[in-house]
Amino acid sequence: MSSDDNRATSSADAGLVTGIGTDTPDGEPLVRVENLKKYFWENDSLLDRLLGDEPVAVQAVDGVSFEIHEGETLGLVGESGCGKSTTGETLLRLQEPTDGRVEFGGTNVYEMAGSDLTAFRRDAQVVFQDPFSSLDPRMTIGDIVQQPLDIHDVGADEERRERVRDLLERVGLSVNQLDRYPHEFSGGQRQRIGIARALALEPEFLVLDEPTSALDVSVQAQVLNLLEDLQAEFDLTYLLISHDLSVIRHICDRVAVMYLGEIVEIGPVEELFGDPKHPYTKALLESVPRATTDERERDRETLAGDVPSPRDPPSGCRFRTRCPAVIPPEELDIDQETYRELMTVRERIESRDISLETVGGDDQFTVEDGSIPEADVPSFVAALKHRLFDDPLPPHHDEMCLRIESTAVNRV
Amino acid sequence: MTDTDDILRVNDLSTRFFTEQGQVNAVDELELRIERGEVFGIVGESGSGKSVTARSVIDLIDAPGEITDGEIWFDDAELAETVREDSPDAVDGSFVDLLSVSPAVRQSLRGTSFSMIFQDPESSFNPSLTVGEQLAEAVEVQRRASANPRSTKAKTDSAEYSFGNLLLSTVLPSQQFVTEESRERAIELLELVGIPDPVERAGEYPHEYSGGMLQRAMIAQALAGEPDVLIADEPTTALDVTIQAQILDLLDDLQTETGMTILLITHNLGVVARMCDRVGVMYAGEIVERGTLEDVFDDHVHPYTEGLLGSIPELEGANGQLEPIGGNVPSLLDHEMEDRCHFADRCPMAMEDCLDHPPEFDATGSEAHTVRCVLATRSYTERDALPPNYFGDEERPAGDKHAEPDRSDGEQPAERTQTTISDAGGESR
Repeated sequence: MSSDDNRATSSADAGLVTGIGTDTPDGEPLVRVENLKKYFWENDSLLDRLLGDEPVAVQAVDGVSFEIHEGETLGLVGESGCGKSTTGETLLRLQEPTDGRVEFGGTNVYEMAGSDLTAFRRDAQVVFQDPFSSLDPRMTIGDIVQQPLDIHDVGADEERRERVRDLLERVGLSVNQLDRYPHEFSGGQRQRIGIARALALEPEFLVLDEPTSALDVSVQAQVLNLLEDLQAEFDLTYLLISHDLSVIRHICDRVAVMYLGEIVEIGPVEELFGDPKHPYTKALLESVPRATTDERERDRETLAGDVPSPRDPPSGCRFRTRCPAVIPPEELDIDQETYRELMTVRERIESRDISLETVGGDDQFTVEDGSIPEADVPSFVAALKHRLFDDPLPPHHDEMCLRIESTAVNRV
Repeated sequence: MTDTDDILRVNDLSTRFFTEQGQVNAVDELELRIERGEVFGIVGESGSGKSVTARSVIDLIDAPGEITDGEIWFDDAELAETVREDSPDAVDGSFVDLLSVSPAVRQSLRGTSFSMIFQDPESSFNPSLTVGEQLAEAVEVQRRASANPRSTKAKTDSAEYSFGNLLLSTVLPSQQFVTEESRERAIELLELVGIPDPVERAGEYPHEYSGGMLQRAMIAQALAGEPDVLIADEPTTALDVTIQAQILDLLDDLQTETGMTILLITHNLGVVARMCDRVGVMYAGEIVERGTLEDVFDDHVHPYTEGLLGSIPELEGANGQLEPIGGNVPSLLDHEMEDRCHFADRCPMAMEDCLDHPPEFDATGSEAHTVRCVLATRSYTERDALPPNYFGDEERPAGDKHAEPDRSDGEQPAERTQTTISDAGGESR
């Protein structure tokens, strides 16, 4: 690890900041994430343990692996709660990981200490989602942008002030706004201040955590353009976390799609958007309403249901509860659509979405302890089917349905 | 689906907020025609006055806000008959001017004629009551309202919410809002909006619902009174895209089924394209361009519409530099607004003609297409263009000049006015 700053920077203050630099050979990724896991524990307090409650793991990030090469932008996209922000924070070591490994320039981030860690903190920066809560309301924007320089003790006083002025101008703010406070700025301007602060130490790697989702579209476009310009100018590597597929499409080179703590598909942006392979990616792309007049006629298949809880993710493929293309087991001679419907019913019974007490007429069946007498099973299933399916199932499916459903019912 | 009759005619509506910083012209002489059975979209950035417009229509403007001027004509023959004897001035044929009738009548329309769904389902429900109870209550209120036909002499509903009444309801079953019938209707409503297993779900509290389900429940609540006009204020902004698609499908189905009119407020042009028959683009309290979806998306004239559409990154197709609109939504403080085209200072095609406030011009395309921009009548010429620094420092606090050398626009702190509006119940994010 050389201590020289061997990056090409066009900044006037090249050499003011010295980072750990990356003397990785060509082709080696700048960031390598291997099997990263981050669980949050519930019911984990002393009191809970005394009461004998088992701790419950919220599997926010469950074994993600990816690489980010120098100069590229990797997008991390997914719905809320899929673990994309946690991934960003954990790989910066803002959260301690549960398991896994992150290499930055060839060194394991979680084993860094002392000056190595300080150097890593300088080289990897973050821009937060909410420009309203991520700036200290009692500091002037000059102080905010200068703070990283003070903390890392970079340069002399005069140099620092000069650098702050350069940075503010670079992100499109005026130098004579130095003494103002964050509340005097609009959302877009505040996000620019956040970007200037992240750039203060000349990082190589920026995690952009939903940088534009709090902004209006016209301002979002300004900030996206700024981020692109800065990347070209300072040779930055980005990890862009966003739920907005069009933003991802616009500025990323590669994309990783996350669902329930896992990466379900990763690939170059053109490929992934042009020919998505995973049914979730397809559904996600289809769900976005396009701003064109053809939108009303567009064929779209929307996903049913909600994202399952990460406390108890589905067994097998995590998407199976919502997947339109779920594959029936081989021994079942059943067509795919019917199977999907059956799986949905099973899901609903298992998650107690359907109250079994109300199946059939009044008091037709007696449900005790969540199960019914063996003899009633066929007629119970028939009543349930009558209630749940609009069209009667083809007769040859009956036996199979009976099998699937009675297992489900009895399990409940 | 659509007859060609208006259900709502808004004339010269002005809603102002009187704040410490001065008077905020959130909605300024706004005209609006909404046809029965259509989906009308209002699209704009935060602070453009779109939510305040919606709230003015349903009369949810709180102090320091006030509707200072205008007429809101609502087509309801039955209502016209009942109102005629008390305030003949407020009736014109089958239309009633909602701003001239008594507050009691106005209030009786809420829920039965107009209903609203809000942006954030999590904060719009009472966390200490079950969803079923809240729906049942809405149903019961509507039932009493219709059992007690609208009359200007009728006591206001607020009496029924008094503390005395609350005590009374613990002993007198007839005073309770949650009755057997209303609970059943609540369950029906939950079923209607696609909540699985409504019987059990009705007994759960809002925190047990997911965001998408709560938004469904809120739609159910809004439908309790079978409204003629449903006002949807950013109904999907807080939701994920897959859930957003579900909710939009649901609204679409319900609209086809019941034939109700929807006024959809959103900042998302994709949602507009998905849902709306006609669109109005709002900027600085005015509708700057309106027309059918095709007029506004494919045949637009106003540079602001152009800028909005140009700001959205494409999901399909070419990457390229986005073309954002410089600057920010302008201040709506009365003393800072000049009598000119409010977009001129951000407009790439500002001309000398733009220094006069433009009226609405007819534009090419459908009959409904109008635009508040001189470009509808003439083309842009360099000769008449305003010099680049025309809207320079003198209007703005000096420090707010955009310092980026290649842009000549000015950014300014528009947040102050936006905060005031949000305090008054506008944008709630």
